[in-house]
Amino acid sequence: MSRNDSKYFSTTKKGEIPELKEELNSQYKDKRKDAVKKVIAAMTVGKDVSSLFTDVVNCMQTENLELKKLVYLYLINYAKSQPDLAILAVNTFVKDSQDPNPLIRALAVRTMGCIRVDKITEYLCDPLQRCLKDDDPYVRKTAAICVAKLYDINAELVEDRGFLESLKDLISDNNPMVVANAVAALAEIQDNSSRPIFEITSHTLSKLLTALNECTEWGQVFILDALSRYKASDAREAENIVERVTPRLQHANCAVVLSAVKMILQQMELITSTDVVRNLCKKMAPPLVTLLSAEPEIQYVALRNINLIVQRRPTILAHEIKVFFCKYNDPIYVKMEKLEIMIKLASDRNIDQVLLEFKEYATEVDVDFVRKAVRAIGRCAIKLERAAERCISVLLELIKIKVNYVVQEAIIVIKDIFRRYPNTYESIIATLCESLDTLDEPEAKASMIWIIGEYAERIDNADELLESFLESFPEEPALVQLQLLTATVKLFLKKPTEGPQQMIQVVLNNATMETDNPDLRDRAYIYWRLLSTDPEAAKDVVLAEKPVITDDSNNLEPSLLDELLVNIATLSSVYHKPPDAFVTRAHSSAQKTEDDDYPEGSESESSANPANGPASPPTSSYTIPASVAPASPPFAAPVPDLLGDLMGMDNSSLVPIDQPTTPSGPPLPILLPASTGQGLQISAQLTRRDGQVFYSMLFENNSQVPLDGFMIQFNKNTFGLAAAGPLQIPQLQPGTSARTLLPMVMFQNMSQGPPSSVLQVALKNNQQPVWYFNDKILFHVFFTEDGRMERATFLETWRSLPDSNEVSKDFPSIVIGGVDATVELLATSNIFFIAKRKNANQDVFYFSAKMPRGIPLLIELTTVVGNPGVKCAIKTPSPEMSQFLFEAIETLLRS
Amino acid sequence: MISQFFVLSQRGDNIVFRDYRGEVPKGSAEIFFRKVKFWEDGGLEEAPPVFNVDGVNYFHVKVVGLLFVATTRVNISPSFVFELLQRIARVIKDYLGILNEDSLRKNFVLVYELLDEVIDFGYVQTTSTELLKSYVFNEPLVIDAARLSPLGPAAIFSQGTKRMPGIAVTKSVVATEPGGRRREEIFVDIIEKISLTFSSSGYILTSEIDGTIQMKSYLTGNPEIRLALNEDLSIGRSQGPVSGYRSSSGSGAVILDDCNFHESVRLDSFDTNRTLSLIPPDGEFPVMNYRMTQAFKPPFRINALIEETGSLKAEVFLKVSAEFASSITANTIKVQMPLPKYTTRVSFELEPGATGQTTDFKETNKRLEWSLKKITGGSEHTLRAKLTFSQESHGNITKESGPVSMTFTIPMYNVSQLQVKYLQIGKKSGTHDPYRWVRYVTQANSYVARI
Repeated sequence: MSRNDSKYFSTTKKGEIPELKEELNSQYKDKRKDAVKKVIAAMTVGKDVSSLFTDVVNCMQTENLELKKLVYLYLINYAKSQPDLAILAVNTFVKDSQDPNPLIRALAVRTMGCIRVDKITEYLCDPLQRCLKDDDPYVRKTAAICVAKLYDINAELVEDRGFLESLKDLISDNNPMVVANAVAALAEIQDNSSRPIFEITSHTLSKLLTALNECTEWGQVFILDALSRYKASDAREAENIVERVTPRLQHANCAVVLSAVKMILQQMELITSTDVVRNLCKKMAPPLVTLLSAEPEIQYVALRNINLIVQRRPTILAHEIKVFFCKYNDPIYVKMEKLEIMIKLASDRNIDQVLLEFKEYATEVDVDFVRKAVRAIGRCAIKLERAAERCISVLLELIKIKVNYVVQEAIIVIKDIFRRYPNTYESIIATLCESLDTLDEPEAKASMIWIIGEYAERIDNADELLESFLESFPEEPALVQLQLLTATVKLFLKKPTEGPQQMIQVVLNNATMETDNPDLRDRAYIYWRLLSTDPEAAKDVVLAEKPVITDDSNNLEPSLLDELLVNIATLSSVYHKPPDAFVTRAHSSAQKTEDDDYPEGSESESSANPANGPASPPTSSYTIPASVAPASPPFAAPVPDLLGDLMGMDNSSLVPIDQPTTPSGPPLPILLPASTGQGLQISAQLTRRDGQVFYSMLFENNSQVPLDGFMIQFNKNTFGLAAAGPLQIPQLQPGTSARTLLPMVMFQNMSQGPPSSVLQVALKNNQQPVWYFNDKILFHVFFTEDGRMERATFLETWRSLPDSNEVSKDFPSIVIGGVDATVELLATSNIFFIAKRKNANQDVFYFSAKMPRGIPLLIELTTVVGNPGVKCAIKTPSPEMSQFLFEAIETLLRS
Repeated sequence: MISQFFVLSQRGDNIVFRDYRGEVPKGSAEIFFRKVKFWEDGGLEEAPPVFNVDGVNYFHVKVVGLLFVATTRVNISPSFVFELLQRIARVIKDYLGILNEDSLRKNFVLVYELLDEVIDFGYVQTTSTELLKSYVFNEPLVIDAARLSPLGPAAIFSQGTKRMPGIAVTKSVVATEPGGRRREEIFVDIIEKISLTFSSSGYILTSEIDGTIQMKSYLTGNPEIRLALNEDLSIGRSQGPVSGYRSSSGSGAVILDDCNFHESVRLDSFDTNRTLSLIPPDGEFPVMNYRMTQAFKPPFRINALIEETGSLKAEVFLKVSAEFASSITANTIKVQMPLPKYTTRVSFELEPGATGQTTDFKETNKRLEWSLKKITGGSEHTLRAKLTFSQESHGNITKESGPVSMTFTIPMYNVSQLQVKYLQIGKKSGTHDPYRWVRYVTQANSYVARI
């Protein structure tokens, strides 16, 4: 507060409350009045002056209206917290309600209605009854509103005392203010009642239409809004109503105009004569446009309403597009709405003008507005086929300015244009590709990637372009990742060459292993399955012709639009949401509503334009039947080397069940005996085939029921072994068995604990509990095919490694019989013979092998051929693995 | 109906707060202010005038830097609320003479009294200053008007022309003049706001006039007023673009696209002789609003050029030509032009002997501003500005600068040619003729030249 503030806000040394108390009880009228003012001043700034209740109420009995009003204001505020004291005021209220001065009568009844204290309410009824029939219209109109107040406190009382009837009588009052208030009160009571209370008959209708002309502007709105619920019986009646309401369009009050428009629109639905309708449209246009000359707040309301109206009756403003051109000083919320309407009104006839405007807006300062303008151009392209080319050339012009966000918006809309006019404008792709590096917004990136994937066959370096995005795949937002995945698959299907092959491996790898996003993972699995089962089918699905998108500028659901049109000139028509989406009646102030999750009206932008821009990536429309989707594997299964099953169908991991997968060698060790597995027996072993680790499994169903829905999961382990895909076991009938090779990957779910060769497996099916069993990891399955070394390399490596990296172990009972057989045996496990030398009577053999991640392993075996006892020395950069290496070598030598 | 009405200062302080229905939880003013202050929904930086938070709908308008706010829980007519908020501001202004934080605080008792008569239980009762006078008893404490700038369109009359008693529009309709007796006078203002867009080649792309005939009466005895307009005034334009160009000095019918009237206006003889009759209520009110898209002669032509003059240099040339009679002077002219974002320095060169002109380069939003105190009809003014860039312009310099916008006020000038032919006061109050002021003014709304 500044220095000039009223004296009423000043305080004294004595202490405010005692001082005020003294003044309130002063014998001088003026002093008392000043004191009450001070009390009110304190009240309005939030000070608690309730302790002065009795003193203030004592000032109530006065002929001075000014003072009386102040006391009443105080009472309304504090009666609730001092209900017992408020009773003290009742007598004065009742007395005042019979005062010769109508202003005092009205004031008493108005104030009593505002005091929500039961005891006072009881005393309100009699005065109210009298006031409803008062001679003075000011008293009657106040009493009419008071009935609504009372209904809010005690509906039953209102009905019991027949106040509703009195209210209805007031509709025929000769004073239009009284009529308007009666209508307002009845409308509110009706809103809060499930019973029909305020039904508008043709009789009330005509009475109200007559009152309309005499009413204040505000009363006209009450009446028009109440009448808008009236359903005319036929076209004739509708025309009559419209005729009576039309002059309201000329009103200076925008609320009257909009309420009249609402009423006319509603009656128009019944009017059959096209001439009349056309004529009405013509009459409504100028007032609607005039609303745009009002304050920006009203312009905003008008524009949101016009948006709805032109969706239903596009002809109304078809010739008025110019009035929706943005003024440079329009507030941003007005500009945004104008753009929307410009798109809706854009036609072949005016598109050149409109494009000129959009182009201008696209170089303005406000970024949001610029973006919307660019999108608007795209939407016009989609809407108007004949103008599409012009729109595109404007977009290209804008791209050339190289303003980053303009380029990005342009690319987003061009993607939509491509979807709308396939195979028409692809010549511009090259221009788009020039801007590739500048894209940093997800939606723009996703759109560009979509374009590259969709037209991969026409873009020479499509693979390079996509690859440039792949590097950052894990960091990209989901929107971009999804598009990258799909685009890479498209590229691969269109150009199944080496580059794309590698790319798809990287992408599928990333999209399945590196992500927590189930959508991405599921989509990757779908592609993977499609590609591995039937590449031709994959082509049919992924490269299928997409439905052509349509103009989305008439974007409200017809049913929603209907509902909103009924609610023209209400908040609902501004939010573009049905009333029940945001209206929550809360009675009594204390109650806090629980509607926190109701969307806010202001974001209606998003709900109004669900299809505004490709919020959902275009390819997400490949809805693949849910049944095809993998049964959501509960583990993050990675894909190590998909090319095997993608391309080389000869070594598919999806081996037919009836074909033996381990053609030779010992039978698989039984890990889950039938006795433990309720008849299900599982034998399994890790194995290496064609450069890939598989878990070779045999399922035997010795139970009495068919088993299906097999799923497998590996616990974290030292080598991070995990399944690369879902387990493919069909339903197992009792007495049958099935084999499978489950592709595995390493370094997926590594355990942090001490190194261990134990592999814990969990397996479930739909009929049985989850089975857990342990397997032993044999390290030799990890030796890679490229482990052979040149002698020189071997020697060099040996020397380069410090001696501390050499570990040795004796296998006293092992006998090496034939040298060649041993060399061959080890070679099948990718342990390659390097050299042999004689050291006294002992033979020393040197072998090389390579562990995953390219870690070399050098082996020296010292033995006397034919005699038991083998000394094994190994040298490797990873000596911590020695324990497993010895285990592996021992196992191999024993077999 | 509305639940609450409140007025907040720019800082968010409650100046006035009235709860009519007790159905909105406490703290609504705070919730509202925080929401508006830190608006971030839907990509907009500015809160729309109405929004919903937790089932409460908040409406606001800004009046002289104050936030006038209403809340409601129901599906109300939003234009109704906005009209109401504007009207409350006007009523308060009528009473206080000047509307600002200071006057509101000083007159809070009166303001509350007014609010209780204007709205009951959330329902508007009346916003007519005239009617309110019979129910409202507090006297306004008028604050010193001299040091305050007045509110409303009529404020423009307090500057520039000597004929206008500027103080008159800031006096309260109820308070008596310090001199004792009230001066009998009536003001009729024809205010036209023009919007016009020139294309880069100088064609007029769009043009529009939003006009208001505003009245403020200080007459006693409620005499009837008759206001005669151009006899050839016609309303309603045939659909489609208007063809033909009409010079503002030539003859020709005034064709309004649309108009509307204050509820006090009787149109009995409007159709026959274009005369409005009314008994003006107290306070300021629009007698008639009108809108025209008929072509008119623009008061100013703008020539704007921007050219590269070197690798990191460019030059802007602006010329403003006043195409109205030399007897008329426009004032408070401001020409603005956004420059490329990479502009780092601007040096200006005004025409030789220029007075009353200032130039500025707004670094933050890279905008050139050129202000001229006045421009007499028929004259031309030019400005050259040399720009220095921090980067190459890629040859898009015209797309990255402009459009040029212009604001101005031209008193005693109206582009539409709508005229008040005569203003007749029915029965004279007092012995001498009341003062009658009929004033015209044209202002720029959105006056833009593209480059």
